[in-house]
Amino acid sequence: MLTQLKSQRPLLTTLALVLVGLVWMGHTMKPGTLAGTLLSGLTLGALYFLIASGLTLIFGLMDVLNFAHGTFFMLGAYAAWMWVEQPAELLRWSPFALALMAGIALAVPVRQQLPGPITDVAGGRVWRGGWGVAGVALAALAVWKWALWPWLPRLLLGTVAGVAFALAFGATRTLHRRQRARPLWQGIGLGVLLLVVAVWADRVQVGWANAMLNWDSSLRFAGGLLIGALAGALTGGIMEWGLIRPLYVRPIYQVLLTLGIVYAGTELARTIWGVEVKRMNKPSLFGARCRSPDFLSWLHEHCASLNVWGRAFPSYRLLIIVLGVLVFLGMVVLLRRSRLGMIIRAGVQDREAVEALGINVRRVFTLVFALGTALAAFGGAAASPFIGVYPEMGMEYMLQAFIVVVIGGMGSVSGAALGALLVGLARAFGDYIVLSGIHLPWLEHTVRMSPSIARASTVLIMAIVLMVRPSGLFGHGD
Amino acid sequence: MMPQTTEESMPNLLTVDHIHTFIGQFHILEGVSVTVPQGSITVLLGRNGVGKTTTLRTIMGMTPPAQGTIYFDGQPIHSLPTYEVAQLGIGYVPDYRAIFRDLTVEENLRLAERQKGDLNRKADFIFGLFPDLARLRGLRGNQLSGGQQQMLAIARALVPHNRLLLIDEPSEGLAPVIIEQMMNAIRTLSTQTTVLLVEQNFVVARHLADRYVILDDGQSVKAGTMADLVGDRETIRRYLGAA
Repeated sequence: MLTQLKSQRPLLTTLALVLVGLVWMGHTMKPGTLAGTLLSGLTLGALYFLIASGLTLIFGLMDVLNFAHGTFFMLGAYAAWMWVEQPAELLRWSPFALALMAGIALAVPVRQQLPGPITDVAGGRVWRGGWGVAGVALAALAVWKWALWPWLPRLLLGTVAGVAFALAFGATRTLHRRQRARPLWQGIGLGVLLLVVAVWADRVQVGWANAMLNWDSSLRFAGGLLIGALAGALTGGIMEWGLIRPLYVRPIYQVLLTLGIVYAGTELARTIWGVEVKRMNKPSLFGARCRSPDFLSWLHEHCASLNVWGRAFPSYRLLIIVLGVLVFLGMVVLLRRSRLGMIIRAGVQDREAVEALGINVRRVFTLVFALGTALAAFGGAAASPFIGVYPEMGMEYMLQAFIVVVIGGMGSVSGAALGALLVGLARAFGDYIVLSGIHLPWLEHTVRMSPSIARASTVLIMAIVLMVRPSGLFGHGD
Repeated sequence: MMPQTTEESMPNLLTVDHIHTFIGQFHILEGVSVTVPQGSITVLLGRNGVGKTTTLRTIMGMTPPAQGTIYFDGQPIHSLPTYEVAQLGIGYVPDYRAIFRDLTVEENLRLAERQKGDLNRKADFIFGLFPDLARLRGLRGNQLSGGQQQMLAIARALVPHNRLLLIDEPSEGLAPVIIEQMMNAIRTLSTQTTVLLVEQNFVVARHLADRYVILDDGQSVKAGTMADLVGDRETIRRYLGAA
């Protein structure tokens, strides 16, 4: 019992300090203000946690310091925004994506029909590079003239581009190494099926996009959350596979790479979507123009704001808090109860020993990276109705997420949760103190502070935590 | 190339043929050949730093050989990644035991399952060998003693259907009573699987193994049956130091 308590000392000490701080702040604040500030802090904390949880998971297992994590936050927000506000734009590309995937599926059968040297790994870099260039060129051509061509040539172009991409990267290599290829009909069957779906999508997409705009906004938003997370998982998985994986032996290059992706991603977003902040409407569940007197009546009124001890609080933010808590519980269950969690906990300690048990750790890495980036993208999608969608949002929230992870201890999910709570509360109460000034009992007038104090407070907490526990609150110290 | 048969005409389960392994720029193995007949306990002997652990790691694909071939049950494994080597049915118990400290004893064992239900199928055998582990099931890896960790490490390699176990220094740092227990366990499990052992303690090696391979300076210099080695004082003095 005593040792149990001892191992929880950082948690208990931190919570006790937070409680003391709250009580001290509380007696100078009105209850409504206190509750409002507290809820704002929890909202920010939940948001930070959504980004930081994936970051800490990726670092803990893979030792990858993913500076580009915020980019996925932004990507998720844009994906959700497009799904909700411009479904036609998003669906327009679905036939192309499907055709590309069909091409990738068809690559293995195609490879067997083409002469060896031009598709074989032994054929060398030149041929593979050539297929890559051809893939990019064909895809660019397809995208460029997409709307102008009839459906057959554009889908064909997409498919051929997919085949070229697959020949440049995966198809030949896996076939070569494994020596046990899947039966041919699987590749052909999947490819043909995807093509049929692509043709169908090409026919119905405009009608669907219009129909979607008539759906209930909450339903659309829920779909947006899902699409955001999916976009994050997909791009994250591809990034790990294509960019991070070759650099595991060169950690410094990884840092440079992910830092570069931050700038490239931000610039890309500016080019595609423009620099202005996109507004995302709140889903109907949180959208009615009224103020519910209490939580119970909000449940059927769905007002945009909620009465908390006489003060209005935006009801949408409650959803963020709930999502943050749910993601935390989900991750705890995943880590403690599932086989994947077991592999992750073991892999954090000794990757090689896990591999020696017959587990393909590389594949687990890709999966965890995709999961982490999906969480960040999910966070971005969830945050978009109240912070807006803009190219620099990733960079802004990234810094706070890093502070959260460092406070909590790199690699610890519970640490990230506690760190996010601390940083969120510090930001919210910091803002309050800046606005109202602070009244010290031995001074006659209230002390006013500059707004940058609120921002600096989180760094201050990080410094104090690191002085007391250099590896963070829940860090292992190695 | 097919595996050769030994003089006892037992088929070789593992044939390591003239492997060279580099770690960084260091040439650690400079031509190591080891054959492990089906059903035997073969021990790798030699002084500290001659490449015994690296030989096991090279078989597992952790430090792949730059030259030479490794055949397991007739199949080349020298260019396979570690997890695929393991999946063919080779269990590895490293000298540092590699117990996962944040996982319970039960979870450590479950992690080794290759098919659902492996642990339940093998539970009687495993807990028969190491009755202590049954009692410790709920404890975490970092709460175990050195001997208990060693038992768990071997038990973990027994969970899936492994046809060959590579065990590195099972007696290292253990009390004599525990060593006795460990030797009995290895003898019992060797009725079901073939074992390739690395062992510094010659007394332990002599009592366990049927066959030996001596490594010196990154090369395999001598191999044969344990019975022959015990009488060969000159070889023992020259390559193993102590008598």
